[in-house]
Amino acid sequence: MGWKDVALTKKGNAVLLNGNEAIARGALEAGVCYASSYPGSPSSEVIDTLSKISSSDLYVEWSINEKVSLEGAAAASFAGLRSMCVMKADGLNVAFDFLTSMNLGGCKGGLVIVVADDPLGHSSVKEYDSRYLAKAAMVPVLEPSTVNEARDMVIQAFDLSEQLKGPVMLRSVTRVSHTRGLVTLNKLPKMRRKAEFPAGECFLTKTIFHMKARDRLDKAAVIIEESGFNYYEGFEGADTVIFCCGTSLLYAREAIKTLGLQNEVKVVKVGTTLPLPEKFILNHLQEASNVIFAEEIRPFLEESIMILSSRHNLGKARFYGKITGDVMGLRGPACGEMNADIIIKVLANIKNLYYRTPGYDPEVKEELGTMIPPREYAMCPGCPHRASFWAVKTAIAVDGRDCIVAGDIGCYCLGAWDTGFNLFDTLHCMGAGPGIASGLSKLGRFGLERPTVTLVGDSTFYHAVIPGLINGHYSGSDYLCIVLDNSVTAMTGHQPHPGTGINTCGEPATTVPIEKIVAGLGIPCKIADPFDNKNATECIFEMLRKPGVKVLILRQECALVQARKQGKKKRRVYVDQTICRGDTCGCGRFCTSVWGCPGNIWDPVNGKAAIDEAVCVGCGVCAALCPADAIVVEEVY
Amino acid sequence: MEVNAIVYGAAAKLVEEVLDTDLCSGCGACIGYCPYIKTIGERVAVIHDCNICEGVCYRVCPRASTNYQLLRQEVFGSAQFDPVLGTYENMYFARAGNELIHTKGQYGGVVTAIFAYALKQGLIEGALMTGGDFTRTKPAVVSTVNEMLACTGSKYTASPTLSLFQEAVKKGFQNIGIVGRPCQVTAARKMQEVTEIKGERISLVVGLFCMESFTPDFYDYIKENNLDEYYRMDIPKDVQFERNGENIFVPFDEVRKFVCKSCYSCFDPLSELADLSVGSTEHDPGWNTLIVRTEKGAELVKKAVARGVIETKPYPKELLPLLRKAVFYKKKRVLEGPDTNYLELTPYERKYFLATGVDV
Repeated sequence: MGWKDVALTKKGNAVLLNGNEAIARGALEAGVCYASSYPGSPSSEVIDTLSKISSSDLYVEWSINEKVSLEGAAAASFAGLRSMCVMKADGLNVAFDFLTSMNLGGCKGGLVIVVADDPLGHSSVKEYDSRYLAKAAMVPVLEPSTVNEARDMVIQAFDLSEQLKGPVMLRSVTRVSHTRGLVTLNKLPKMRRKAEFPAGECFLTKTIFHMKARDRLDKAAVIIEESGFNYYEGFEGADTVIFCCGTSLLYAREAIKTLGLQNEVKVVKVGTTLPLPEKFILNHLQEASNVIFAEEIRPFLEESIMILSSRHNLGKARFYGKITGDVMGLRGPACGEMNADIIIKVLANIKNLYYRTPGYDPEVKEELGTMIPPREYAMCPGCPHRASFWAVKTAIAVDGRDCIVAGDIGCYCLGAWDTGFNLFDTLHCMGAGPGIASGLSKLGRFGLERPTVTLVGDSTFYHAVIPGLINGHYSGSDYLCIVLDNSVTAMTGHQPHPGTGINTCGEPATTVPIEKIVAGLGIPCKIADPFDNKNATECIFEMLRKPGVKVLILRQECALVQARKQGKKKRRVYVDQTICRGDTCGCGRFCTSVWGCPGNIWDPVNGKAAIDEAVCVGCGVCAALCPADAIVVEEVY
Repeated sequence: MEVNAIVYGAAAKLVEEVLDTDLCSGCGACIGYCPYIKTIGERVAVIHDCNICEGVCYRVCPRASTNYQLLRQEVFGSAQFDPVLGTYENMYFARAGNELIHTKGQYGGVVTAIFAYALKQGLIEGALMTGGDFTRTKPAVVSTVNEMLACTGSKYTASPTLSLFQEAVKKGFQNIGIVGRPCQVTAARKMQEVTEIKGERISLVVGLFCMESFTPDFYDYIKENNLDEYYRMDIPKDVQFERNGENIFVPFDEVRKFVCKSCYSCFDPLSELADLSVGSTEHDPGWNTLIVRTEKGAELVKKAVARGVIETKPYPKELLPLLRKAVFYKKKRVLEGPDTNYLELTPYERKYFLATGVDV
């Protein structure tokens, strides 16, 4: 598993790859020359993999946001190279302005945009379906169902893009990107393309090119009618048909097998959901009495097929989908992930079968639920965000003016919940914090007197914060922007950014320090260490009370990065239980019940606090906050 | 209610009764025992709903329910007292014997002189005092004469000096002296009763006269008006700033808006529970008014006079009615105000004060 399997294994061998590695392999097999991305789960491993095998034949880049990332990849395509841009669903919004312009004029070398959706939002603040954006941008969409198919589709997507002279989107989801499957490797191309941008060749955006984009979709519809990614399984004359795409294929198979309906139900798998392979679908739609739709997240395929059915006056079939409310999980229709049970329920209903969901009875489940201790999201042991949050919490409480905290996107999203002391009042998207803070600070004339602070990350700063700062500074806003600088894009797996001093491939690179950018904007800037919690708190307090836009950088390296760098722990932290006052302290077990670092544990035998030295990274912040001074920090040599 | 009855839901009560009602005088007594009450820039806040039943914060707060009658009993062993000036043995004009202390002090330098003497005598090993100056106070745990000298001079904002008490305890001091405003004196007396925080180590309490103190916004005012270029501030009547013999006066009405709201509820301008109370004479800037209240205070003053540490002269009889009048009306205003429920005064006590206050 991993990048070595992707790059070094001989062709013909089967290797176990996750979906993102398979996408990376597919790109290599297709002869990709330029690959760029802004990291975001569940898409990050594509570029993580390619960055390890970057060579003279391949340029790989962690860009500072999805928009510049796509612009770079498009540029490579303009020059005739095959290029790929990877992002999570949220990132497509950021790149969208460019995408909707570029797609009109089109491009040249194969350009594949890989967008990984995150149904149920396992690692996202929002859940949504990027296919609707592709539709708005008029970009064809391919949806793989398995890891192996993801690899195959990437190759086809490059071909299709070059045939159409426009970008093609590959839509993955968490359960494809983060599932492992066997991939039999194809040959890597030897041919090397030359980048050419001949004088006189232009890539412009004009209103009239709207027609080009339309025609491109029409052309795509003809091509994908022959695509091997659309096929059916099961009894051809079945009266019940499941139309599915993506991972729902696997759930549909499992549902049919579970109910033993192999000879009664047909699965129609659609790999090209935009544009639809209309003839192929009509073929399977015409004779069906019951039509079930299985897809994630919104009823995209469902809507398209219903329109198709209506256009052809096929009034015979009864539809079972999200629009009809038949297909739904715990969150109701069109929200959350698909699973086999959801499809089983629909099938059992149609076929009048009794099906009992395996597992405990609902009553037992409910009772068990009350017995399980509540488990919150957790930040890592020694995470600097925890210290920063405590400093912010303290400063705004003492300030006493009921400060509004505008959050932003990163590990520190946890500031919105218990783990982050429920600090955030707003939380939306990359860079939203400063914009919201800027707006709130303008509402004094309408009676809103609460001061505003916004918390953003370092990678977020480069991604989308700077415009908000400029806007705030220029418009005379009053807010404090706190940059939680852990010197890495931590949440998505420690990718470098312009502040880290290394590039995508780990080589030294120009550093673009945040403080210099802020100083250049003419905005007052201070730097503090959240581990020196008292000083950081006072700094926040003081800056909060000053007029104008201010920036405070709370700088402390991500605990995971630091632990990897230093290897052995430099400091040992332990509780002197003769000093710890236990439950008589008056702190109410602050270290374990409020502070929330996994390194702080309770010793039930002695009724005292303790440190889990296996996970403690030795930051020592808990020692500074312990009211009894019972936590000892020892330098280890 | 006992002086120091255990209070349940302490921090929540503190928020509800003291902080949210603007009664907090910023004394700092509630800070330092737990991670949930913090002070920055002379502001105090409960930053987390701690839900700890036995918290000491409410028990030591001078603006939480306060029974002066019981506290007087604890401090003086008797409930006999003068309703206006509090319990006292003697009143003097006093000044430091040491010229340096005298000049550095606001008036007579008596507080610094007495504390330096108590330190040398081993009566105390450390003290909580307030350093810095009128442009920014700096609470300090001091244990040398030099450190004490850095704390001379009056400050006019509400420094939360008592927040450092646990630091003094952690430094191992067994006998700790406290110099503070009247609210801090009351807090110190309450703290003495709480063994969990080693309050019994408070062994000398010197209180200042205090008619009001300013909120931290006063610092901004000083800065904005370039008054920080002056090195001495006083409030004889209007606010006086002095620099190399040059004086400017700001009408008190201009700074009245900075007076802490809690000061309007203060029934104790003369630190009635202190061992010694010290203030200005309002007549002679070279001398302090010294009120000797407890036996311990009397003993210390006696020795200090004998050693020439301080010099005293009788408090002029003709000034007493003036002082009484000023204090009586301050207290009366407070009694008539809305925020005196914390005082636990019986209707009889109120009546007694109002009836006898001016003439006794």
